[in-house]
Amino acid sequence: MEDDIEKEGEGSGKNKNMKMMMKSEIIEGDNGNFGIRGQWLRKIMGNLQEVIFGTKLAVLFPAVPLAVAADTYHFGRAWIFALSLLGLAPLAERVSFLTEQIAYYTGPTVGGLLNATCGNATEMIIALLALRKNKINVVKFSLLGSILSNLLLVLGSSLLCGGLANLKKEQRYDRKQADVNSLLLLLGLLCHLLPLIFKYALTGDHYSVATSTLQLSRASSIVMLLAYVAYIFFQLKTHRQLYDSQEEDDEEEKAAIGFWVAFTWLVGMTLLISLLSEYVVGTIEAASESWGISVSFISIILLPIVGNAAEHAGSIIFAFKNKLDISLGVAMGSATQISMFVVPLSVIVAWIMGVKMDLDFNLLETGCLALTILVTAFTLQDGTSHYMKGVVLFLCYIVIAACFFVHKAPLSNQILGENVRFQPTKDAMAT
Amino acid sequence: MASNHQEALLMAENGNIKELNGKEITRRRSARKMSSTSLRKKSDMRLISKVRCALLRNFLANLQEVILGTKLSVLFPAIPLAIAADCYGFGRPWIFALSLLGLTPLAERISFVTEQIAYYTGPTVGGLLNATCGNATELIIAIFALNSNKIAVVKYSLLGSILSNLLLVLGTSLFCGGIANISLPQPQKYDRRQADVNSLMLLLALLCHMLPMLFRYATSSTGLVADPSLELSRASSIVMLIAYFAYLVFQLWTHRQLFEAPDEDVNDDSVSEEAVIGLWSGFSWMAGMTVFIALLSEYVVETIEDASDSWGLSVSFLSIILLPIVGNAAEHAGAIIFAFKNNLDISLGVALGSATQISLFVVPLCVIISWIMGNKMDLNFNPVETGSLALAIIATAFTLQDGTSHYMKGFILLLCYVVIGACFFVQRTPFNQAHLHDMMPNPAPNAIFKA
Repeated sequence: MEDDIEKEGEGSGKNKNMKMMMKSEIIEGDNGNFGIRGQWLRKIMGNLQEVIFGTKLAVLFPAVPLAVAADTYHFGRAWIFALSLLGLAPLAERVSFLTEQIAYYTGPTVGGLLNATCGNATEMIIALLALRKNKINVVKFSLLGSILSNLLLVLGSSLLCGGLANLKKEQRYDRKQADVNSLLLLLGLLCHLLPLIFKYALTGDHYSVATSTLQLSRASSIVMLLAYVAYIFFQLKTHRQLYDSQEEDDEEEKAAIGFWVAFTWLVGMTLLISLLSEYVVGTIEAASESWGISVSFISIILLPIVGNAAEHAGSIIFAFKNKLDISLGVAMGSATQISMFVVPLSVIVAWIMGVKMDLDFNLLETGCLALTILVTAFTLQDGTSHYMKGVVLFLCYIVIAACFFVHKAPLSNQILGENVRFQPTKDAMAT
Repeated sequence: MASNHQEALLMAENGNIKELNGKEITRRRSARKMSSTSLRKKSDMRLISKVRCALLRNFLANLQEVILGTKLSVLFPAIPLAIAADCYGFGRPWIFALSLLGLTPLAERISFVTEQIAYYTGPTVGGLLNATCGNATELIIAIFALNSNKIAVVKYSLLGSILSNLLLVLGTSLFCGGIANISLPQPQKYDRRQADVNSLMLLLALLCHMLPMLFRYATSSTGLVADPSLELSRASSIVMLIAYFAYLVFQLWTHRQLFEAPDEDVNDDSVSEEAVIGLWSGFSWMAGMTVFIALLSEYVVETIEDASDSWGLSVSFLSIILLPIVGNAAEHAGAIIFAFKNNLDISLGVALGSATQISLFVVPLCVIISWIMGNKMDLNFNPVETGSLALAIIATAFTLQDGTSHYMKGFILLLCYVVIGACFFVQRTPFNQAHLHDMMPNPAPNAIFKA
């Protein structure tokens, strides 16, 4: 039978990866039996039900064919953008579900590696596609927004909801995990700050400064990838016990679908994600013009909220149950992954492609990043939590969102309405 | 003998015997209350008891309690002197100096009266009252300055208040406390959770200040105007007020126990559990003192440039260093005294609580008020000021995050304050005379918009 499932290795029976545990919250149990004849047909239907309908986000699945139809029949481009965004949300969640299923077969270490790499598949694919179209700013903004969203929005709402739900109990978590993540994020911040300071501190003509910045960024990216590899080694090999949850209740020990089936589904979903991401990247300016909000706002705020929706929901649910270690693991782990893996990977891929992407995210964005990492590291460094911490983190996110909402970036093709007002005065005086 | 008179006072004041909330007020007292009691004097009733007429006696006792009840009352004569100086046209720097001196005891008396009123209203409303009126002086000065469109003075004085609380008051308290308790076997301890919450709120405020400033620099090359930064400042102010409201709920309702002073030393002070003046008398005193504070603040705001010219110090130095020292004098003294007694929780509560209140309540309130008035005050305190604020907050947060203290911590914070003071001392800004109304420097030479 195809569904021959091997049990995992001895020690990992009760110790589950945190992300896996979180996924199981959104997955509904599958108890259907159809009464359809034919074992093969029944297996396929069972598979289909497990994969497609196995999540509460499945209501958004119809957006996928709608988006394809919108593109083929030339609906408004803003519609294509919106539908593709909606379609990406369930797809992102299903990809991580499938990754988890495959991890059952490959053992905990490779499974952890798989999760570490594919965990933010959506962000990576969007970034690579945008690089191909030379929209470097979309790449920078969307990755930055992902980090900010994980550190402030997901973490803040989890701590807030958890604090309100557990008002009388003391909420604790293991701060060592948060400490390692904060440290890595600070290294990432350093790698972003130096190219930025180059721009302001170096003298010399524009071209040589840009070259130095680019070279520094590429070297830093290699360093960041090294750090990430070391982090994976730390997390999966030598200091596993820091990361395993203390969960005792019985989890489903078996995978729900077979290995090759899962693999096929994974490939298929990745293709769909690529398609939708291409729509998103292609129509982002049109949507920005038609909705009247800046490209930076859409990339920094909207895109990550969609891409992170599933993790966000899971994180809040675990905070409600006073299992803060898992919420923290999801939020901080995701932020570290994007900052230390996806960003430098994008720089290296851009290097290969010949695109000039560097690590200089402009002054305002880097300032936001610096303060975010500072606030989050400070919040998490004492090992306890209450709702006030969540309120502050959440409000920080609101302020940053407001900042980018009013920040009409000159990077898009919009004419800046405010500027025009003052030009006539100067010209009038000149004439 | 004294308690009889006090009871008589109360009965006369309120007409009916009002059940004091003394039983409901637990032995836990808020940090601010305990700190201000250090400057009180016990009222001496002997002279007054000789007056025959009961009404006159009560009135005089009231007067004595309120006016003479503090060691700072030696400065009270400065108030009529300041008014006289203004009426008879003395040198304007004199008006400035006298008004400053007069503000000090008034500020302390306001918090005394607020505390007395709080006895009648119960701990929660009392806490709220304290939270709002605790920095009445700074708020009134800021509103007057806004009225005269001196936005720079507002920004500088509020910033200076935060810096003074975080570095000067905290630094001297930790330093003096550390020196006084140097022979103790174990280190001085305090509850770090309260300090953590306050540091977190200050970091949120820092974010709200940095973003408009970075905004101004990030978009300067396109010659973008001040408007988006102003909108952002106003939106951030609303967020900050929401955060302050949540902080009040947290402090006064759900997590009270984090903020209250420990039980031990309550019994020894000369502090009575009862109010010494009646509720209505408290209100009228409060109204009267607020009027005087408003008057003196108006003098201060109007004469600040003249004082600056005549003394040779920049307006920024006067606003950032001198004004807050005056406004905070009473709390400062109280915080030091409690640190001497190894009661660091109270010192921290006073200093950090005041800083949080100003940065998350008074500053956004001023932005909202200026919005209503039509002024263009934003949250962009320029790079030097924002930089010093950022480092002050980071240094303080880092200092307080381990729950113990020694004199070295206080010394370093104090030295930080001295350095920042020196920075503004030497900064003879061109803002002094003509540019008080607009604080925007030109970050790029090709910026189109000039004030």
